Amino acid sequence: MHAVRKSWLGIVAIIISIFVFLVPFSFIILTAMKGKNEAGFLSFSWPTEFHLWDNIVEVIQTRNFMLVTALINSTVLTVASVAIMVLLAAMVAFVLQRRASKWNGLINFLVLSGLIIPPAVVPTIWVLQGLGLFKTLGGLILVEAAFGLSFCILLFRAFISTIPREVDEAAIIDGAGSIRLFFQVVFPLLRSVIITVIVVQSVAVFNDFTNPLYFLPGDENATVQLTLFNFQSQFDTSWNLLFTNILLITIPPLVMFIFFNRQIVAGMSSGAVKG
Amino acid sequence: MLLHGKRRTAIALTASIGALALVLTGCSNSGGSTTADGKVALSFLTDNAPANVSLAEGLAKDFNASQDKITVKVETRPGGSDGDNIIKTRLATGEMTDIFLYNSGSLFQAIAPEKNLVDFTNESFADNVMDSMKPVVSVKDKLYGVPVGGAFAGAILYNKKVYKDLGLTVPLTWDQYNANNDKIKAAGKTAIIQTYKDTWTSQLDVLGDFANVLASDPDWATKYTENKAKYATDPVAMAGFEHLQEGFDKGYYNKDFGSATNTDGLRILATGEGVHYPMLTSAAASIIADYPDAAQDIGVFATPGDDPAGSALTTWFPNGLYVPAASKNVDAAKEFIAFAASTKGCDSETKAIGVTGPYLIKGCDLPADVPAYVGDLLPYFNKDGGTQPALEFLSPIKGPSLEQITVAVGSGITSAAEGAKQYDADVKKQAQQLGLSGW
Repeated sequence: MHAVRKSWLGIVAIIISIFVFLVPFSFIILTAMKGKNEAGFLSFSWPTEFHLWDNIVEVIQTRNFMLVTALINSTVLTVASVAIMVLLAAMVAFVLQRRASKWNGLINFLVLSGLIIPPAVVPTIWVLQGLGLFKTLGGLILVEAAFGLSFCILLFRAFISTIPREVDEAAIIDGAGSIRLFFQVVFPLLRSVIITVIVVQSVAVFNDFTNPLYFLPGDENATVQLTLFNFQSQFDTSWNLLFTNILLITIPPLVMFIFFNRQIVAGMSSGAVKG
Repeated sequence: MLLHGKRRTAIALTASIGALALVLTGCSNSGGSTTADGKVALSFLTDNAPANVSLAEGLAKDFNASQDKITVKVETRPGGSDGDNIIKTRLATGEMTDIFLYNSGSLFQAIAPEKNLVDFTNESFADNVMDSMKPVVSVKDKLYGVPVGGAFAGAILYNKKVYKDLGLTVPLTWDQYNANNDKIKAAGKTAIIQTYKDTWTSQLDVLGDFANVLASDPDWATKYTENKAKYATDPVAMAGFEHLQEGFDKGYYNKDFGSATNTDGLRILATGEGVHYPMLTSAAASIIADYPDAAQDIGVFATPGDDPAGSALTTWFPNGLYVPAASKNVDAAKEFIAFAASTKGCDSETKAIGVTGPYLIKGCDLPADVPAYVGDLLPYFNKDGGTQPALEFLSPIKGPSLEQITVAVGSGITSAAEGAKQYDADVKKQAQQLGLSGW
């Protein structure tokens, strides 16, 4: 009886996930295969003529191979800013959690205000200009890292509080300095939460639209989300090319997910049990 | 073992810091203003509408070929309110491209031209700009922009083939228009196409009717700005809202008007399933691009009013090209502007996107073989008083919620009188924000 109900639930879950994930994705693929006029109907139908290859070629060639530049830029942006977030957030969270001091209240307040206070565009640009980082990928990496850091610190702090202090003490007794204590003892223990942070923040940074739009102007600086606007404008949208572009920029994260699927799931579930 | 671990950590740390430094510095080429071959490099920002991108790229290509000191490179930005924000942000931070394309009229006034833009008043090419265009790219007699592309109108696009098949004639008054609508409906076709998925398309009945308002009172726009004329109290002005309600009440609209998009509307018109579409004439260019067979079937007439002699056409001025005051290459940018504001510039535009409407540069003639809808526009432009500017070029007030209100009126949710009243209230907020006197 119990087993029957369980398999029932499983089937329902599979059907729901088909509707939520596979139907939209197949719609993207179908529309990407159509010609412009047919795609304009936005209907869920089998294409009458196949233009997938033409569409792909056109999308890649648009505006001097902007998509290729954009994929490189987005990869560098995502990898670098997520690396900064993971490293800095883990360090901050470790110190905040393990060493109580009178500054903790203020630091916690600053971390929280990073979550609460919305970022302002013009002052941020002014700061970047002052540092000579405006219109550079480095500047945007720092912006993304700054905006994501608060959230990551909170995640890491909550996780570090579950690691027994005895682990630290044992390492210190064995002669580990503070740097080694962090990098060789604590950091590896954070694996599951690191994977969570990487997944969540990579998706956020890779899909970010407004920050690149304002902080990294210029065609040579485009990121993938900005390339969508080559085909979608206020009055006229080429749905076939737009969906082909979506398809092309969805592939890299998808491939990543397929390759690291095991680690991600293992990391998250081990985190769930521990936390 | 211990030592080994320590060194490895140290190496890893150094490597990651090094990689970061590389990323941070390596990409910070700020794109100097001269290219390797000693030419001045100019950047040119346009919005991402396909027609404007082709237009900008055509101009840049022909300008680059016409001389050997300057190269212009085109960049794109989104349109709509995102685009407005980008323009304002980049101007405010001094990071605007050397040349940019942006709306004329009230949006142009909103970017503080006196502070942000280069004054063209004393340039030789300023004389090439037609007098009718000058007010919409000027502040207090100082010219800050030149027109790019052709003028267009807010009018009714119609399918000439269906008109011929049903033996209809172009209506001069609203009653004749309705008589045509009845015949079209009786023939089993959609009389009027409405596409409320793209809410902006719902405004054309009201905005395109403005020439009729001006015909009844030439000072209407001034009175409107001074809070003396209102849509709700002026029966002529309210006609635009009433027309929308009437179309719904009489069942002239396509069945899926609530969920149809602008693209759908243009397709229905091109295929002849629908016959009238209140629209900007610039949209006809995309019919020609997508349905070349229907190119000669699409015509235009001005939104009809009560005058038996026919109405004037409500026209929109083309976008302007501007140079920001913060540009480091103002002189080179002016050379490009001079090219764009010359007959060579119009020729280049025609080559890039074809003719979409009359040019507002002196001496720019249209080629003989224009698309049918442009042919329909020309008599209005050639006649004295045949065209009237849209309200947004005569008054700074345009309420932000007009499109939501017109959708509600056109869907039969709100009555015309109620909609006009709502719009007056919407406008009041904006006038107060602008700090106009009398509100």
